[in-house]
Amino acid sequence: MVEHVVELSGVWKVFGDRAQETIVAAKERGLTKAEALAEFKTVIGVRDASFSVARGEIFCIMGLSGSGKSTLVRHVNRLIEPTAGTIRVLGEDVSAMGPKDLREMRARHIGMVFQHMALMPHRSVRENVAYPLEIRKVPKSRRWAISDHTLGLVDLTGYEDRLPRELSGGMQQRVGIARALASDPEILLMDEPFSALDPLIRLQLQDQFKVLVRDLNKSTLFITHDLDEAIRIGHRIAIMKDGVIVQIGTPEEIVTQPADDYVREFVQGISRLKLVRAHTIMEPLTNGHAHPSADAVRVSGESDLDSLIDVSVNSEHPLVVQEGGQDVGVITKTRLLRGIQGGAS
Amino acid sequence: MSTAEQLDPTPLSEEQPRAAAVRDIEVDHAALDASIADFAGPNAGYYARAFQSIHDTTGSIPRVFNLAAALFGPFWAAARGIWGMFWGFLILEIIAYVQIGRGAWGDLGADALAQAERQAARAQDFLDRAAAAAAAGEDGSRFETLGNNLMRAAERSRETAEAAAADANMILLTGLALLIFLRVVQGLWGNVVYEKQYTRWRVAPDEVASGRTTRNLLMGLGLGLVIVPLTVYRFTIEGVPDWMTAFPANPDTYSDTARWLEGVIDDAARGGAGAFDGIVLGVRQVLDGISLALIGTPWPVVMAVIFVVAWRSAGPRVAIFTAAALAYIAFLGYWEIAMETVALVGAAVVLCVVIGIPLGIWFGKSQRAYKFAEPVLDLMQTLPAFVYLIPIIAFFGTGNPPGILATIIFGMPPVIRLTALGMRGVPANIKEAATAFGATRWQLLKDVELPLALPSIMTGVNQTILMCLSMVVIISLIGGGGLGQVILEALQFAAKGPGLLGGLAILFVAMVIDRIVQGAFRRADQR
Repeated sequence: MVEHVVELSGVWKVFGDRAQETIVAAKERGLTKAEALAEFKTVIGVRDASFSVARGEIFCIMGLSGSGKSTLVRHVNRLIEPTAGTIRVLGEDVSAMGPKDLREMRARHIGMVFQHMALMPHRSVRENVAYPLEIRKVPKSRRWAISDHTLGLVDLTGYEDRLPRELSGGMQQRVGIARALASDPEILLMDEPFSALDPLIRLQLQDQFKVLVRDLNKSTLFITHDLDEAIRIGHRIAIMKDGVIVQIGTPEEIVTQPADDYVREFVQGISRLKLVRAHTIMEPLTNGHAHPSADAVRVSGESDLDSLIDVSVNSEHPLVVQEGGQDVGVITKTRLLRGIQGGAS
Repeated sequence: MSTAEQLDPTPLSEEQPRAAAVRDIEVDHAALDASIADFAGPNAGYYARAFQSIHDTTGSIPRVFNLAAALFGPFWAAARGIWGMFWGFLILEIIAYVQIGRGAWGDLGADALAQAERQAARAQDFLDRAAAAAAAGEDGSRFETLGNNLMRAAERSRETAEAAAADANMILLTGLALLIFLRVVQGLWGNVVYEKQYTRWRVAPDEVASGRTTRNLLMGLGLGLVIVPLTVYRFTIEGVPDWMTAFPANPDTYSDTARWLEGVIDDAARGGAGAFDGIVLGVRQVLDGISLALIGTPWPVVMAVIFVVAWRSAGPRVAIFTAAALAYIAFLGYWEIAMETVALVGAAVVLCVVIGIPLGIWFGKSQRAYKFAEPVLDLMQTLPAFVYLIPIIAFFGTGNPPGILATIIFGMPPVIRLTALGMRGVPANIKEAATAFGATRWQLLKDVELPLALPSIMTGVNQTILMCLSMVVIISLIGGGGLGQVILEALQFAAKGPGLLGGLAILFVAMVIDRIVQGAFRRADQR
């Protein structure tokens, strides 16, 4: 049984005075966003969103600007109140919390990183990282020790007494990550943390972040508008459009079985080499097939296209896919090429 | 997806614009004409042609003459909704009409003629007396000389009158020429202005007037009919009726209203006497505290402190200047009275800051409260100080504490405004971050909002100090003490020496305070 640290079910967020009417109308007759604006003068920010994040998982929410992803993630720590639906964090209903419990939950269990860093310009790096602890009235000696340790995790030792504006963008965002980690929360909310950084720094930080989260065993909700980023770091991805979660799945599922044209358009430009695995593109062996030749190279069902190409160029026969010691399918060169192209299924 | 579809190279779509050289681009006259017709309404064809020639021109003044604009002048502009042009040319044409009127029926020589008549009558009078004297056998030559002199003067006046009357034709012609010139200008310029309006109309069709509407024409005609005849009549006819030059106000209205208002203020002052006395008492406490510190402390201590503060906050140059200023004040015997001024400013500033910053925080957080407060703040700053000195006397009496209250009214708006501005300028994402980490409202204010708003708040405090300084002289009018009193006394006796010396003392006090405060804030900014 997988433990879910964050669970959202049926969450709606409608901005405007006639929010409840809008939800009823949307449920009954499938009111669209534009119709809601015209009829009720309300804006549907999030529409019936449900998902859950398992412990240790990086769950990406991908969507273009205005798709409601930032609004959705702010429901988890109730920076935004849901119009309808329930949100459970570590098994507790967030909507039912009083102000004190809510602050306690924000301070202890949830760390958040923002797109534009949102560091306090008048405080040193150390005091920025220590701020969540200061809010909880942790004594200064502990605060500073924890903050120095956390800054070490993001390779910023030696910058503790600098002001944020003396640091580069990538370093500032690492301070942001350190601040989110300082109170050792179970859950990290990342709101487009790397979007404002240049591509090289972004790649570095993505890798660094992935390792860090795995080592510390944090559960992460990661917002991004970049599908490459989502695929690179996410265990699962939710794709949002106009406030609706269009599809939830692993990167491979999203790329090989896009739920609709919108998602298909997105995944078109994505390189499949490291994503798609042999068992997805193979032709399954049925009884009708001839037994594959014994000379053929055997590959594992989990091998990705990249390694299949390496094997295939040195082999004349179609590749044979094995699972559990059994031959389960074959991959011809044509099939492999089509698989790379994305037309295998 | 079928294989065939995939193999197909992407066909060039038909909608794609063909690449064209810039010289091949043609003007789409049909679309432009339709849009101009939409804008112009009546006479669309004419305006389409006129605008087209304006659009085609390469010179600065297109040669398109608008006959309607020339014939009807400002009323054409009114009908077409070009109100700027209407008003400008209406005023210019009134000048022309007045000249025409003066030339046509204004009795130009009337003054001189009347004078000639009077002089002639008196001359006749003297001549009669001379004749009477001669008849009585006395020497009437003195009267005769006078009479003859006056006769000659009358003759000269008559000549002036005739010359003026002759000028009338010239004035009439000038007026006519001006009118014709103005009409030609409107004819030439009308289409250019109208085309500009068309360009603006394309951007904002709901806000810019278009077409020719009866409503606009009637409005223009109405305004013209009221303004032109009255103005021309006033400037061309001698002895216009009184109601035309002075508003026929009933003097009783004024005295009754003033008496009623006085009663209201008196009642309010009596009714709220306890509260007002309490406020005065509170202000007096603050003032007494500061006065005691400045005047009660031995002067060498106070001077040394001021000098050191100037040095620490603004550097050695300001410190030397401060020493010189202090010496001037001390040697001329202004020490105590100057310290009273500083105490008055200090008390006013302390109260402004203590009241103003919390108000500013509130207004910065609540848009609705700020909307109500803004007109009050505007009023506090724009109302001349002399105006609210009177109600202050009525409610709080005279002396230093009411003077401080008047200073507060004048000096508090900047600190409120700039605190509110600073609070609103705190980036929302930093506030959101603090909230996301579980900060309470108080922690948010203390750790994020106030530190980030601080530069703006400091600017507000600085401005408040300067405004209080400028006000502290005026309060001598309601019995406030300090250097202002010295100036007021000098003013009453027109005493040049004491006035100048006191004025310099105030200048030095103000400059020292200003330099120290500026220096301190500059250092705070650099940190």
